[in-house]
Amino acid sequence: MASRFWTSQGGSDSEEEESDYDEEIENGAPVDPATQAAGSRYLKENPSDSDDSGDQKRVVRSAKDKRFEEMSATVDQMKNAMKINDWVSLQESFDKMNKQLEKVMRLTESEKAPNLYIKALVMLEDFLSQALANKDAKKKMSSSNAKALNSMKQKLKKNNKQYEDLISRYREKPESEEERDEDEDEDEETDSEIEEDPTKIEFKDSEDEDDEKGGDSQDEDDGEWEKKMSKREKLMDKQFKNPSEVTWDTVNKKFKEVVAARGRRGTGRFEQVEQLAFLTKVAKTPAQKIEILFSVVSAQFDVNPGLNGHMPINVWKKCVQNMFVILDILIQYPNIVVDDMVESDENETQKGPDYNGTIQVWGNLVAFVERLDAEFFKSLQCIDPHTREYVERLRDEPLFSVLAQNVQDYLERVSDFKAAAKVALKRIELIYYKPQEVYDAMRKLAEQTGDRDNGEAGEEHKVVEESRGPSPFIVTPELVPRKPTFPENSRTLMDCLVSLIYKYGDERTKARAMLCDIYHHAILDEFSTSRDLLLMSHLQDSIQHMDISTQILFNRAMAQLGLCAFRVGLITEGHGCLSELYSGGRVKELLAQGVSQSRYHEKTPEQERIERRRQMPYHMHINLELLEAVHLICAMLLEVPNIAANTHDPKRKVISKTFRRLLEMSERQTFTGPPENVRDHIMAATRALSKGDFEKAFDVITSLDAWKLFRNRDNVLEMLKAKIKEEALRTYLFTYSSSYDALSLDQLIKMFDLSDAQIHSIVSKMMISEELYASWDQPTQCIVFHDVEHTRLQALAFQLTEKLSVLAESNERATEARIGGGGLDLPPRRRDNQDYNAVGGRWQESFSFTQGRQGGGSGRTGYGAGGGRPLALGQAAGGGYSRDRTGQSRGTGAGYPGTRYQDAAYGGGSGRSAYQSGSSVRGSQMDISNRMVSLNRGFRS
Amino acid sequence: MANPTARSFLQVAATEEVASPLRVVQIEGLAILKIIKHCKEFSPALVTGQLLGLDVGSVLEVTNCFPFPIREEDEENEAEGANYQLDMMKCLREVNVDNNTVGWYQSTLLGSFQTVELIETFMNYQENIRRCVCIIYDPSRSTQGVLALKALKLSDSFMDLYRNNNFTGEKLREKNLSWVDIFEEIPIKVSNSALISAFMTDLEGDAPVTQCDYDRLQLSTNPFMERNMDFLIECMDDLSMEQQKFQFYYRSLSRQQAQQQAWLQKRRAENASRKAAGEEPLPEEDPSNPVFKPVPEPSRLDSFLITNQIANYCNQINGVAGQNFSKLYLMKALHEN
Repeated sequence: MASRFWTSQGGSDSEEEESDYDEEIENGAPVDPATQAAGSRYLKENPSDSDDSGDQKRVVRSAKDKRFEEMSATVDQMKNAMKINDWVSLQESFDKMNKQLEKVMRLTESEKAPNLYIKALVMLEDFLSQALANKDAKKKMSSSNAKALNSMKQKLKKNNKQYEDLISRYREKPESEEERDEDEDEDEETDSEIEEDPTKIEFKDSEDEDDEKGGDSQDEDDGEWEKKMSKREKLMDKQFKNPSEVTWDTVNKKFKEVVAARGRRGTGRFEQVEQLAFLTKVAKTPAQKIEILFSVVSAQFDVNPGLNGHMPINVWKKCVQNMFVILDILIQYPNIVVDDMVESDENETQKGPDYNGTIQVWGNLVAFVERLDAEFFKSLQCIDPHTREYVERLRDEPLFSVLAQNVQDYLERVSDFKAAAKVALKRIELIYYKPQEVYDAMRKLAEQTGDRDNGEAGEEHKVVEESRGPSPFIVTPELVPRKPTFPENSRTLMDCLVSLIYKYGDERTKARAMLCDIYHHAILDEFSTSRDLLLMSHLQDSIQHMDISTQILFNRAMAQLGLCAFRVGLITEGHGCLSELYSGGRVKELLAQGVSQSRYHEKTPEQERIERRRQMPYHMHINLELLEAVHLICAMLLEVPNIAANTHDPKRKVISKTFRRLLEMSERQTFTGPPENVRDHIMAATRALSKGDFEKAFDVITSLDAWKLFRNRDNVLEMLKAKIKEEALRTYLFTYSSSYDALSLDQLIKMFDLSDAQIHSIVSKMMISEELYASWDQPTQCIVFHDVEHTRLQALAFQLTEKLSVLAESNERATEARIGGGGLDLPPRRRDNQDYNAVGGRWQESFSFTQGRQGGGSGRTGYGAGGGRPLALGQAAGGGYSRDRTGQSRGTGAGYPGTRYQDAAYGGGSGRSAYQSGSSVRGSQMDISNRMVSLNRGFRS
Repeated sequence: MANPTARSFLQVAATEEVASPLRVVQIEGLAILKIIKHCKEFSPALVTGQLLGLDVGSVLEVTNCFPFPIREEDEENEAEGANYQLDMMKCLREVNVDNNTVGWYQSTLLGSFQTVELIETFMNYQENIRRCVCIIYDPSRSTQGVLALKALKLSDSFMDLYRNNNFTGEKLREKNLSWVDIFEEIPIKVSNSALISAFMTDLEGDAPVTQCDYDRLQLSTNPFMERNMDFLIECMDDLSMEQQKFQFYYRSLSRQQAQQQAWLQKRRAENASRKAAGEEPLPEEDPSNPVFKPVPEPSRLDSFLITNQIANYCNQINGVAGQNFSKLYLMKALHEN
């Protein structure tokens, strides 16, 4: 075998040489200087001796190069044959090429046929089908020619079968193949350089297809042009073979055709994008270009069929680039108006760039931006957050934000503020969860990559353009900045975006922006600001009716608010914010940070899929461990003294049910090991604290890992230590006051490491609120305890008053419903549920339990209960805050009636009955912090 | 009691024409003692018994009574109880005692007697006997030194309503009936024959103070108050429940009205379009539509009874507290002396 090949190789060698000369002689035409290596070689060779050329070649070229050269020469020959429709010579060249292929293959030792070869095959195939289709021409052919054509047909068919996949791959993406070709051998440059020289094609005079006299270069170019086309789409090549023939009409027709094929069977999605992208190059007017670009973008969105997967990242990036181009055009031609409401005139896009009036183009920039955002979000959901890919993907964020910024700017310029608000919301959603540090990092990254990218992306951009063949008719300069600009401070950015939205946004946009704003304020430790925002917006009332993702956002904002409250030392508020999140044991679900498995009912795959689609990307997560720790610590600080105070009647006043349940569970354990998770830690601390051992409690809590997630960790721990000491003191006094007749202040100072002023104030507060029956003995600095116990009759009387207040209140509501009071815009059922939740919680264990169950039941429908809880939370928290504020503004002792009035006003706009005020007087005797607790529970607000 | 039959017959004949309202219940001392004995023996269990006597014009005379055996929760016993009653009546007739049923007595605990059962029993009696009363004896209150005896009957307007089982807000308003008007209390007059009175006077010792008077001075009222409080709290819960029921009703009503409105609007629009098309308009009422099915209004009877009950407790507490205060002041004065 080998020997035969060797001989044949030799034979073909000489043959090839011969044919080379033949060709040159045949052509005999002046060689275009633009034709490259091979061409110039011929040029050089022409005057020289033919023998020399052979030697020269052997000396200079490597064997491989030589083979490739030979092959490409054959291909050229074939091209020429094609032009004159000479099938006989074409057949000969084909045979020759096949022989050469064998040599090349052996030489390169690769299994794959070289691209040059495949390209030739494709070209041949196309030409053949074209020739066959043309019946008239076939008839006119000479008999020998026709015979050759037929045999060629068969040969090609047989031959191409071997390379089927290569051919199809090549047809699919000629670009990438070409790029590789360029690297592979210089000969290839023949093609690519011609391609890179599109101006020639553009400005070339129209000439007949079969005019060979027009000169070699012309022919070459034409051939290339044709080939290019054929690679892309057989259907397309005919129409756009000759650039000058391309008119608006043809492009429009083709465009309609391609668009009509969308979604049909057998229409390749990538292919369609390619076709459309090509069409943008040949678009005649800017308006048409925009129209086509819109289709390109939507076709790119179509590339990913499923709802679950995300758009390929490179397509996404291209899509963003396309959006930039659209914006460029829009800015360049301000008379083009994009609108999705008007069914624009069929020929609207025919109007050229010099047209004066407005040109309406159908499209919706906002929808595209939103879709891009959704795709970005989805891709982050899908990518494993612990991989490098995720980080890489995150780096694309500035790219999107700059696009959004540009779109927003544009929309503002055309004074479509509503749409601008929507885009602004997308931008907000990118930054609201970032603390200043992260924001700074992003800004830095954006600047760096901006610098680098600007160069790179620009180049890349150009390359992309070029590799797609001729440069577009409509050249758009880059008008919009490709580099994001972020203000120094994330707050400034938020403020400016948010104010735009508040001004122009619709309900949902406003609500979301508000929530983001709240979240962001909370991150920046501005608790009071964000709390006021939440209360003023009354979002907690209406969040129930919003869509699920907004509800999730609300939950996130609440969680962040809780963390913020904790950081600034407002334990009660923090607990108020967080307790509802934890009441159902479905935190993960409520924050959309993972799918929680429920033991009681299986989720259908459909539900699960929907739930997965809502998940937050990893980088936006709120650390659950930290959240749990904060929640439990808040609960501990409130509950431990509370339990100590109500030892006789532990069920009576439950602040945190979750905490109580955990405590019960841990008490039931026969053996408690060293703490492992967050709960264990808190339970250990609770045990220590309930004995008044603050040091141990603090040590256990400090050993939690989660603290390192706080920015000002030391301050927070300091605050925590102070709080723990205070609560330890209170607990100690509650628990052991009955064992003392009197207790000296010094002793307490020693025990709890607190200043005497602090102890004095704490103990005094307890006395005033009647939690501690004692009095100060000033001269000796002692607390003298009184032995006071409620009689049963008194206890019953208290109970009765409470019952009465419930009754009176519900009576009031009934009247309110009758005469049409204030709060009727809420559905009555919900209000009532809420009322009973808040009011009934105190003594009617079973009652609120059924409420909980109800909530669980409605949870089946997905987030129904998820929404319900936050509402309750909001209301409870709202009540708490309002009271807190009045407490702050009025001071402790001065304004009891006023406070009560305020309570009533928050309660729904109508006054309270006598019973109610009676108990509120009782409540108002407590100090501020305790009032918040007790009133929170005693009243519905 | 010398010749009560003759007089009563006369009276009966006279009043047959004009049914004068019942004004006084006159009870024989013997009957009262029997009631007290029965109730006290079984306290705190609740017992009942039959009242026998005569209906004489505006006075209902109760001359005798007999206790029912304690009923067990069994259906067979129902029949037994009825048999016992009949047997008892027969025996009493044989010994020539009044055997005309005029009502029943029952014991109660701190006045918690206003129940639906009481009303039902009353209506049962009322079917057979035109005039009947229920005498209620409260042994626990009697320990406070008061004779806690009450004669009750249902008011006529209430009975009307009850027969129709119509306790909607509208009807109640029509009849102008409030919770106070369910029961009517009839004054009780204790009468003894002259012989007995004489005998009693003879028996009575010289001491001016009786055991009853000592009881009255008892200072510890806490248990009584506590019980009352407990009951009150229970009542409050019940009342809240009732209120909830009513609220629920109200809500469903308003919802239904909204639905009806929506339906009507739709129908009207449809009719308008039909009219435009020259077709017959559809009727604006569609009884088959579930939207028009009336929502049953909750009965107010329960809440009325509960309110009565609460009023009762409050009165008791008031009374006891008032007495207690005077007792305490008395004690204080005694101490100072």
